[in-house]
Amino acid sequence: MASTAAVPFWRAAGMTYITYSNICASLVRGCLKEPYKSEAASREKVHFTVSKWANGKPEKPTIRSDSPDQ
Amino acid sequence: MAMAALRREGRRFLLSSASSTPITARSAISSEESCLFGARSISTQIVRNRMKSVRNIQKITKAMKMVAASKLRGVQTKTENSRGLWQPFVALLGDGLSVDVKKNVVITVSSDKGLCGGINSTSVKVSKALTRVYSGPEKENKYVILGEKGKAQLVRDSKNSIELSISELQKNPLNYTQVAVLADDILKNVEFDALRIVFNKFHSVVSFPPTVSTVLSPEVVEKESEAGGRLGDLDLYEIEGGETKSEVLQNLTEFQFSCVLFNAVLENGCSELGARMSAMDSSSKNAGEMLDRLTLTYNRTRQASITTELIEIISGASALEG
Repeated sequence: MASTAAVPFWRAAGMTYITYSNICASLVRGCLKEPYKSEAASREKVHFTVSKWANGKPEKPTIRSDSPDQ
Repeated sequence: MAMAALRREGRRFLLSSASSTPITARSAISSEESCLFGARSISTQIVRNRMKSVRNIQKITKAMKMVAASKLRGVQTKTENSRGLWQPFVALLGDGLSVDVKKNVVITVSSDKGLCGGINSTSVKVSKALTRVYSGPEKENKYVILGEKGKAQLVRDSKNSIELSISELQKNPLNYTQVAVLADDILKNVEFDALRIVFNKFHSVVSFPPTVSTVLSPEVVEKESEAGGRLGDLDLYEIEGGETKSEVLQNLTEFQFSCVLFNAVLENGCSELGARMSAMDSSSKNAGEMLDRLTLTYNRTRQASITTELIEIISGASALEG
């Protein structure tokens, strides 16, 4: 299995299994033909804000979004 | 003819005397006073305004209900399909609710918007109860909060144990990629032995009991599986490839977390819509009842003033005749 050999490498790069599987999934989705490709891409939109808390106060929220214009 | 002019004069006199009362006491008292003086009609303006605003509110709540109902249909199928993601994990790893560990992280799933009944306060209440259950010496409980409403409630008394807060998750329709990125962020930023995800599980439009899903850290899973019990069965499975058990477990728990979180977020979103639907339904019903009552009062007052006027005219005419 090719993926087995890859494990130490993406772990060393600081990736979790989730990131790894997501990259794999988006690669597979990239193999789709149009119109299915753009349809699948619309299901890949990421948007949320995260703020860390320190000493009972929220720090400045960071926006995780793949469409920066929003 | 002369009589009518006289009457008009009289009314003007009455009105001017009513309006000359001190301005401070105008609102209720002056209208009452003008009634006492025998003004012919009671102002129905206030009731009419109130009826208008109630009708507008009813329109809004009805529209919100419609929106929630139409959204619910799509989300519900998505939610039901997503249940297949975590069920294999529960079959394999168990739920681990009773596993007692040092570092508990409670992930409270709530909504960003209000007006959806009590689902946010239920999940907050359950999260608080959960931290109380798992609290003890040398133990640490932290919160990770999804959604604005849960944050607003938890800030009040346990803001020091909030680790992360996430919002605007539902701006786009929920999808796995998004939740996976979120799960990744949580995994990287929070230290934990067990993640307890609290959310409202969608059963039907009217029932969404609060539910807890547990994701244990790989070390804890390994320890538990050595100790036997449900997790001891893990050794029965054959592992492909050259990975060690701890590696497999780490990958597995990470993936489990993202799947469980995905399901939790969807279930909660679905419950939110269901709750909003029933809340808006009952509030538009209430607005309707209120409107009925107001209409009754309004009509009664109008009728009373018409009757008074009629009596006045008739008695005036009969006085002239007599």
